[in-house]
Amino acid sequence: MTCERIEELLSAFLEGELSQAEKTLVKAHLAGCPDCAALLAILSRAQQALADFPELEVSPGLQARLAAIPEHKKKFSLSFDFVLRPALQPVFAAATIFMTLLSFYLFNPDKKNIDRAIDQKIHSGYSQVEKLYAKAGSFTDRLGDTAENVFVSVKSWKIFGGNEDPTYK
Amino acid sequence: MLVNTYSKRVFNLAYQFVGSYQEAEDLTQDIFLKLYGALHRYDFEKNFTAWLLTMAKNHLIDTYRKTKWEKAHRDEFDEQFAAPEAGRGPESGLMQEADRKLVWEGLNRLAPETRMAVILRDIQEKRYEEVAEILDLPLGTVKSRINRGRLQLAKILKDRKEDAYDL
Repeated sequence: MTCERIEELLSAFLEGELSQAEKTLVKAHLAGCPDCAALLAILSRAQQALADFPELEVSPGLQARLAAIPEHKKKFSLSFDFVLRPALQPVFAAATIFMTLLSFYLFNPDKKNIDRAIDQKIHSGYSQVEKLYAKAGSFTDRLGDTAENVFVSVKSWKIFGGNEDPTYK
Repeated sequence: MLVNTYSKRVFNLAYQFVGSYQEAEDLTQDIFLKLYGALHRYDFEKNFTAWLLTMAKNHLIDTYRKTKWEKAHRDEFDEQFAAPEAGRGPESGLMQEADRKLVWEGLNRLAPETRMAVILRDIQEKRYEEVAEILDLPLGTVKSRINRGRLQLAKILKDRKEDAYDL
């Protein structure tokens, strides 16, 4: 095995993660290669030094600063958090479209023509509604008449006690 | 409370990554600010500690990239790291101090992603699976990254063997 290949196995060798066959190969190489043996020694000592790095305590000053963060956040959330609610997004979208159209209307140089066109549309719409209403009224009357005729016809059937008029006797 | 439970872990990760006490404090504060802003995005099915440490890792690496030049030209090393542990003799304490200083300087030369992987595994002594979760990488990638990082570190230290501290 080349030194390069052995170097790649050194870390796993130290952690005991190699197979028996690989371990034997590495040991055999290390016995005859002072460079790789020196690298293994450094690797081992460096890992020990890393494991011995002390765990530090958080200073009271930092602790206080960190504890103060949520208060800032709360202040912010009271005033603006509602804006971020997903449920309100369609409302904001509709409001944006409405405001865009409104500004387009209000600041249009041809505003008078737009007003006139809107006025015409409203009037034609109103007359259409009136016509429809009149048609609906006459239709209701006709429907009422038809229903009355049907009722009279059915009533005159024999099974309902009809044809008892003395003129038929 | 989040601060009491997690501030020490985040602070130590920041400190081990940047090697400066003051900078680690500022970074910890930034990470907690980010945390409070992102809490609503937390998926309750995920491990909270891993989620927080992933956020911390991203912030530390991003900040490192933004100030890369400044850091590459800085030889600063905080005394806190080098301070000998209580209960050891003065001689072994000094040896330990020298080792830590050299090792941290070597660690500081690694690429930030590699350095973070080595810190999580060898300083914080997390399992490979935990490191993979924090780095959001497959287990095999994490193992080879840590292996590569350790080897690079050992080679850096070997090159400096002739220096004042004989490692």
